[in-house]
Amino acid sequence: MEVRLERLSKSFGANAVLKALDLTFPERKFITLLGPSGCGKTTLLRLISGLERASSGSIHFGSERVDHLAPADRNIAMVFQSYALYPTMDVAANIGYGLKVRGVPTSERVDKVGAVAKVLEIAHLLARKPRALSGGQRQRVALGRAMVRKPDIFLMDEPLSNLDAKLRATMRGELKRFHLDLQTTSIYVTHDQLEAMTMSDLVAVMNEGVVQQFATPEEVYDRPVNLFVAGFIGSPPMNFCDVIVTEQAGRAALVLAGRSFPLPDHFNLSRLEEGRRLVLGIRPQDVVLAERDDPHAIPGSVWMVELIGSERLVEVEVAPKVRVCAEVKAEVRAVLDSPAAVAFNPAKIHLFDPKTGLALPRSDGPL
Amino acid sequence: MNLRGLLGRFVLYSLLVIVTTIVCFPLIWALSTSLKPKSEIFAWPPTLWPNEWTLENYSALFAGKQAYFQGGSASAGAVPPSAFFLDWFMNSVIVAVGTTAISTIVSTLAAYSLTRFRFPGQRVVPYLALVGYMVPSIIFVFPMFLVMADLSLTDTLLSLVLGYVCITLPFCMWLMWAFFRGVPVEIEEAALVDGASRLRVFVEIVLPTAWPGIVAAAIFTLIVSWNDYLFGRVFMNSMENLPLTVGVMHFFDGTHVDWGLMMASSVLMTVPMAVLFALLQRHLVAGFGAGAVKG
Ligand SMILES: Nc1ncnc2c1ncn2[C@@H]1O[C@H](COP(=O)(O)OP(=O)(O)OP(=O)(O)O)[C@@H](O)[C@H]1O
Ligand SMILES: [Mg+2]
Repeated sequence: MEVRLERLSKSFGANAVLKALDLTFPERKFITLLGPSGCGKTTLLRLISGLERASSGSIHFGSERVDHLAPADRNIAMVFQSYALYPTMDVAANIGYGLKVRGVPTSERVDKVGAVAKVLEIAHLLARKPRALSGGQRQRVALGRAMVRKPDIFLMDEPLSNLDAKLRATMRGELKRFHLDLQTTSIYVTHDQLEAMTMSDLVAVMNEGVVQQFATPEEVYDRPVNLFVAGFIGSPPMNFCDVIVTEQAGRAALVLAGRSFPLPDHFNLSRLEEGRRLVLGIRPQDVVLAERDDPHAIPGSVWMVELIGSERLVEVEVAPKVRVCAEVKAEVRAVLDSPAAVAFNPAKIHLFDPKTGLALPRSDGPL
Repeated sequence: MNLRGLLGRFVLYSLLVIVTTIVCFPLIWALSTSLKPKSEIFAWPPTLWPNEWTLENYSALFAGKQAYFQGGSASAGAVPPSAFFLDWFMNSVIVAVGTTAISTIVSTLAAYSLTRFRFPGQRVVPYLALVGYMVPSIIFVFPMFLVMADLSLTDTLLSLVLGYVCITLPFCMWLMWAFFRGVPVEIEEAALVDGASRLRVFVEIVLPTAWPGIVAAAIFTLIVSWNDYLFGRVFMNSMENLPLTVGVMHFFDGTHVDWGLMMASSVLMTVPMAVLFALLQRHLVAGFGAGAVKG
């Protein structure tokens, strides 16, 4: 079922948490709401579920306007961040509660609960109370409770955030698999961008109650629309440096820390004036350590070296307080404070207007 | 098990036996005295194990007052206090059960709304509720007596119920408040999303979760209303309306004390509470524990 939000706003007192959202979550897609803590993701989910009332605007499921409906009447299922299992009921009763409330006869209920429990591999736990379950098992029960009802829409609020890294990776795959099987429109809240990138059809990047970009994971990663999205997506985060547009041999060029290099081809030359200040963004993965005599490299000195498994992060200070991080192979040695130079992959350079924060229009169009 | 472990256990159990004996001795003594004939109660040396067994004290208590009221009214002076024992017992039961029902139900609902609905003063109310307990209850008894007199409720069981509700409700509410605070709102929201109505959520999700707290509150109220002397002494005056605690004082008659009756009543007063405790003690411990940590 398609979910459409129109001019949806929510304030708690003077605190405007969601600001006039216009969004359409297409049918059958797995959509992720991604954003830093406090940006309003949970609030948005609670509005969609009906646990919270909007201050203004409307919510539509398909062609029906639902904002006046109680949660019970929206045929949604929600997985809470804390799982919110009923502590006094055993697993079977937890999963079957929604069916019981809806008056499904006991025998049918038992069958359905059994079937879901089998899929989730918790059939052997049906008689246990939630407190006798591990975090991963609780999470499956919470999922089972949502799945057993065949809802129109799945809402999930950081369901994996309490799990350890390994279980999280497994559950990511399983959740994705469930979605492919069930094809239920799913709205998934997370602030883990890895989850967002790996699981979603569409990602809505949110900040301060505003959706910054709503696009596929590839697009959000490769064509961030503004500084916030560029900085929020990707790990380690994108490098940002102030640059000035200049002219070099009849072509536009960028000056960074006294060195100039040609403007990448994917930016529209005619739109750039000489002397204009811009913010250059480049991901650490697109930065290489270069020879210091390379004409396009920017020299500096090694400021910090960190090993992250198979890669090594080398931060090079190219001007006072201007540091560029490069992600290089772990075998590459770098000695603190020794001279070094960085060079950028020109195809991967992003440019932003420092005043508006918006990405500069590109000549190579969308992905 | 090694020698040190054995020795440790021995010391532990010996201490337990000693403490238990000290705590239980008055009860055992009361039981023993209640089963002795009058002549043996003051015998020297005292006997813990009666030489002669008798149930005369108990049969006196259970005789009832009918015998004295047959064929018209008996003059009050002619009826011995022990004839009223069954009335007193029933009074105490009625008052304790009534108080417990009212206090538990009202405090549960009040505490639930305190934790779930937003209103000015939401935070201070539960603590204000405890302020009353900083003052000895004798301070409240006489003003309350005046109120009861205005309402023409003195010498009725209802006045006792209302009085006990006044002194137990705030604490019960605080206890339940601490409990409900520990019940995450999400589980209620999950039930709402699952399709349950508000009432259904309260009955099927909230109440079972808060059950230990409810048991604790109920037991607290039972104990207070069963054991109180002060309110009964001040509010009540006719013989047949007294609660047990006040009634048994009539076994003192200024010149002598009927210890046999006194001890038999004490045993009968203790038994219901002891049985209740035995049945509910697991809930009680869980209840007070949870309240203490979260409150
Ligand atoms: N019931 C409420 N009353 C007042 N303010 C609230 C309420 N619920 C949320 N807020 C505020 O709304 C903002 C957004 O909260 P929300 O829970 O939606 O954030 P979030 O994006 O889910 O964050 P997180 O990733 O930490 O879960 C926060 O500033 C929060 O303080
Ligand atoms: Mg949240």
